[in-house]
Formats: sequence, structure tokens, C-alpha cells
Amino acid sequence: MTVDAAAEPPFVLAVPSKGRLQENASAFFARAGLELTQGRGARDYRGAVAGLPNVEVAFLSASEIVGQLAAGAAHFGVTGEDLVREKVSDANQRLELIAPLGFGRADVVVAAPQAWIDVRTMADLEDVASVYRARRGERMRVATKYVNLTRRYFAEHGVGDYRIVESLGATEGAPAAGAAELIVDITTTGATLAANALKPLDDGPILRSQAMLVASLAAPWGPVQRKCARIILDRIAASEEARKSREVRARLRGPANGLFAEVRQRFGALPAFGEEPDPRGFVALHCAKATAADLAGFLLAHGAERVSVVALEHVFDARNPLYEALERRIGAG
Amino acid sequence: MRTNPVNATLLDATLPLARSAGERALEHFLASGFKRIEPAILHPASIFLDMSGEAIRGRLFLTADSSGEELCLRPEYTIPVCRAYLASDKAGAVAEYSYLGPVFRAQAEGAGERAQTGLESFGRKDAEAADAEVFSLAMEAAAAAAGKLAARLGDAGLFDALLSALALPEVWRRRLKRGLAEGRDLAAILDGRSQSALAQPGVLAALESADHDGARALVEDLLAIAGIDAVGGRTASEIADRFLEQAALRSGDSIGIEKRKILESYLAVSGDLDVAAQTLRGLAGAAGLDLGAALDAFELRNGFIAARGVAIEETRFSAAFVRDFDYYTGFVFEAREPSRPDARPALAGGRYDGLARKLGAKADIPAVGAAITLDRLPGARR
Repeated sequence: MTVDAAAEPPFVLAVPSKGRLQENASAFFARAGLELTQGRGARDYRGAVAGLPNVEVAFLSASEIVGQLAAGAAHFGVTGEDLVREKVSDANQRLELIAPLGFGRADVVVAAPQAWIDVRTMADLEDVASVYRARRGERMRVATKYVNLTRRYFAEHGVGDYRIVESLGATEGAPAAGAAELIVDITTTGATLAANALKPLDDGPILRSQAMLVASLAAPWGPVQRKCARIILDRIAASEEARKSREVRARLRGPANGLFAEVRQRFGALPAFGEEPDPRGFVALHCAKATAADLAGFLLAHGAERVSVVALEHVFDARNPLYEALERRIGAG
Repeated sequence: MRTNPVNATLLDATLPLARSAGERALEHFLASGFKRIEPAILHPASIFLDMSGEAIRGRLFLTADSSGEELCLRPEYTIPVCRAYLASDKAGAVAEYSYLGPVFRAQAEGAGERAQTGLESFGRKDAEAADAEVFSLAMEAAAAAAGKLAARLGDAGLFDALLSALALPEVWRRRLKRGLAEGRDLAAILDGRSQSALAQPGVLAALESADHDGARALVEDLLAIAGIDAVGGRTASEIADRFLEQAALRSGDSIGIEKRKILESYLAVSGDLDVAAQTLRGLAGAAGLDLGAALDAFELRNGFIAARGVAIEETRFSAAFVRDFDYYTGFVFEAREPSRPDARPALAGGRYDGLARKLGAKADIPAVGAAITLDRLPGARR
């Protein structure tokens, strides 16, 4: 076997290959100026990011992505937190959950038949489960694909008298079909549960899940991979920062002495071009979208004649908390 | 009797120290008439999950056969030996077995495979003598193999008798048994997480004076009003019973101060076997409780243990020592290196008369056994 010492393995970014998760993930990266391109035709499962030759995109199922991250075969991946917690028992040791992405929201809940009007909490369930077993000599069955989440959560609540029935689809139908008494499943609105005469317990959910950007700690982190990670996270941070911020510009009657400290305190606004007051009175401030109008009013009251509030495309910052968090885990290269 | 050469090689290669200790222990069992048995390594996982609950799933080495049935490597010997016994022509009759070989449990650190030896006795009607013999043989074997152990004894049958004599409501019996098996103390069980978060005081108040039929009618009405078709495993009658139970718990103050005191005194009994027996007799007498047969059995067994010559000074009774009540039905014991009182037990066992029926026998079959985990014996630490 010959190995070219100069050729480092690529940085692998794993993204969902189908469904709403794919659409949302693509849109998220596009917003950050990261255009994902799929190889020849929609059936090709490898792709690239325009302008980043060292990045290879792997299009996989959300659950495969978790496996690839845990095994270190992908550096970054987009997947649901529910799958991360279910499939990787020591997720906090092997993965760094970099940021929630705001889409793919769903709750993992314990749901019981609506007819069980005496059951509202896990404490009720513990009681009912032990009576059920004492009476029938069998354990209550819980249908789920979340075997590990269920086991952990039930153990935390002292519920021991149950058996898991693995279910890989249409879990909510299991009680009506007589295949289980309870389910642990994902729900967004609860409508499917209700349609199957089930109700979530009051002290849930087990997990409020959403799509996450996840980094593998097991992947090889050479200089090339670190550089790719830094670029990707800079762009993500820049677009997220821009999305949440507005730039407020004005010209005051003179140098804005003492103004920066006051707007930082009152509006959380930061100077866009450093702390030095401009002798001609120009100011440009970055603040949260919601406070931009208040900040504009403040500047008018301090002598500005016109104030413009500008939407931003990207805001890059020398400090990147996302990358810093990752670097704390993988060590400074 | 079939022996498995694979196991011998495997023990040779990986556990030289344990092997010699295991063989010395096994010789002791063989010399006492416990024939060696080598049960299957692969078993349906559901048997162990049904018996021990999902909590052990994470510790099983799972696989599947071509039909998709979930199988596991045996995590212990008792169930495999009991299955082999039930499948043999001895099923239901007296049969006594010993074993030596690997069991498989995934663990955070160290190998998932460890060697055990032990013995199981089925079908003997003289339960107390069988208890004493199995316990004593296991203690002697451990002493011969590695060194003396200090034992702790308990009695699930005695505790059951106490709960019956106190005429506690079913719900409290269940909670006490489970709480003790989980290692919680009495105060935590009785005062801890209260009945339930049932936020339906109206329903409970309406039920306080109701009988079972009335309660069921009310539950059926409630379901009908809510437009709920009965679905999922429990009947309206069962739901009604639970409401009645909750209503009773709500109206009464826990289990009552008298009964609580008796439970406290009972669970505090520990120490030398003879002293414990006297204390228990005194306790039952003072409280006017009839522990009759269970206490007789306890003393009879103690007598047999003393007659077998086990070092009594290293053997303590503890009333609060119980193991899983769904599994163990009477005598229970565990033993460890005397200098390491907090270590996991090197030897453990007890009476499990209900297991055979759960594994498919038509009736309970008396059974008692003990297992020695060889790498927990004195001197086996690496």
C-alpha cells in the first residue's frame, strides 16, 4: 500500500440525504454561503461545497450520520438530537454538539392510552406497571425505536416492570394493534398520538429534540481539517450573527465621546469599526434586530439627523465561540 | 455428562488463576454429588429480559438467529441450568447440578467474559436442609478455592410472612418489597415520593366509600363521557381498582404508626443467627403477630447450617437484606472477602421456587442455588 504523505484525508461533512431535514439543512448552509453541490444526478451520495476543495459532503440518512460521527468517519454532521442521544451512549465524550439549528423540532414522549385516566405521570406508570406484572405475570410492553432513551428515562423514574418491543415504524399504532401497552415516540403536534387514542404523560417529554450541527471528536483533526472546520464555523457564525443583528448608522454633531459605553449598556450595541470615536461624528453600531428601532431613536435624541438601519449578510468576528468550543474538545492543533 | 472442551481452553488462556480456583471449587461440588452440567451458551434474550427487566439489556451480548429471534450469550448460569433441567427427563424430580464456565456481561471496564462456578438443587422437598446444604457447600468451596468469605443471610419468606401478618394493603406490600430490593430504607419508602401525582381529588373523593362495582361503573362512565373507546391492555375494572387503592391511600395516613414501628424493629434485626431468631420471636410475640411457619423454617435452617459446621461467627443475618422478590422466594445469601465489606459479592444465591414455572413448568418446583464469581474471590484481583 502506498500512502502519499502530503495528501491528507478530506474534511467530511455529513448531511441528510432526503426529506425535510435535507431541505432545511441545505437552506441553512446556503444562508451561510456554503453551497452544497451533489455529484452527477440526485442519486450520487457524495458532493462538495463550492469553493472549499478539501471538504467532501456525504449525503446519508440522519441515523447513519450519527454512526459516522461516532466512528470518526465524518467531521461534522447535521442530525437530530434524538438520534444522537439514542445511538451514542457516551455522546458527550465522543461528540461535540456545536449548535442547535432551529429546525426538525420534535419531542420524544412517553404516551399511554387515553383510557388510562388514572395515569398522568411516570410515578403513576411505575405503580401501574408493577400491578400489571403482579396480576398478569407479564411485564407491560413499550413499543419504541428509542430503546436506549427509554431504558435510561424509565430507570431514572424507577419504572422497572416493563419490556421493550422494538418498533421501526408506525409505533403509535402498536397499542391499538395489541402489540404493546405504551409507546415512546417522537411527536410534533400530538395529533398522531390523539388519532391513535394515546396521550403523552404530563411530566415529559423525555427530550426536546431538534436538528443539531454535531462534530466528531474521534475523527482525525489535522491542520487541513481544522482549517475547514474554522472556515465552515466562521461562515455559520457570520450568517447567524448577521441574521440576528442590524447595523445602525448615523452621523452625530461631533465625536461620540462616551456614547459607545452608554449604548452597550442600554442596547447591547457594539461599535462596528472599533472603539475610537470618529472626529466627524460618524457612528456605526451592531445591535440585536429587536432593539434597532430603540437605538435609532436614541441616536436621533443625541443629535443625529438621519439614522439608517441596515440588514446584514454576514458578520465575521475575530473571535468565534463555536470554533473555540470545538477547539477546547479536540485540543489546539 | 457432556463437557465442553472449548470452555476449558478459553479458561486456560485467559484466567489461569481463576481456573485453578474454579476447578478446586467444582471438585468440592462434584464430591458432594452435584453432577456437572454444561448448559447452552446461547439463549433467547427475552427470557432474561422478562426475568430481570430491561435494565439488564445494556449488559447482554445480543445477537439474532436467521429468523430474527433475539438471542444472547448467557449472562449467568441459573436460568440456563434450570432450562436444561426442565428439558431433561429429570424435570420435576430431584436433580442437583454443578457448573464451571464463562458468563457474559458487558461492562464499562474490563472483559465482558468472566468465569463462574456454582451449584443448583431442584425438586427437594426438605427445603431448609437443601438451603443449608447449598449455602454451606458454596462457602466451603470458596474457602477451599481461595479463602474464607464473610456471609450475609436474609429471608424473603419471613418478610412475606410479616407483611401478611400485618395485613398491609397490597399497594404497600408491593412498595415495601420493591423499595427494599432497590436498597432504600424504610423511611425513604414510606415517606418518599408519595402515592402518585394523581390530580383527580374529585374522582378519589367520590370513590372513598365506593365498592369495586361502583368504582368500575364510575370509570366506565368517565370513559364514555370522554368518548374514549377502551384501548390498550388494562380493563376499566383494573383502572377502577387502582382508583380505589389511591382513594384508600388518600384517606388513611400511610400505614399507621403501630405497623410502621413493627416494620422498623423487624428491619433493624441483624447479627448472629441464634440471637436474630430470639429477637424475631420476641418481636412477633410482643406485637401479637403470627409468623409461625416462616419463623420455624428460619430456625430449622439455622440449625442445619450450624450442623454443617459453617463458621457461624462469619455469618450474619440481616432482616433488611433482600434480593429481587420476583425471583427469590425464601432464603437469600451473599458473601465476600471479609476485608472488603463494600465489594461486590463473590458468592451469591438463594431459593427461587417460582423460576421453573416462569420458564414453562406447570407448577412451582423447589429450587435453591449459589454462584461464585471467580475473579471476586480473595487473591484473584489483578
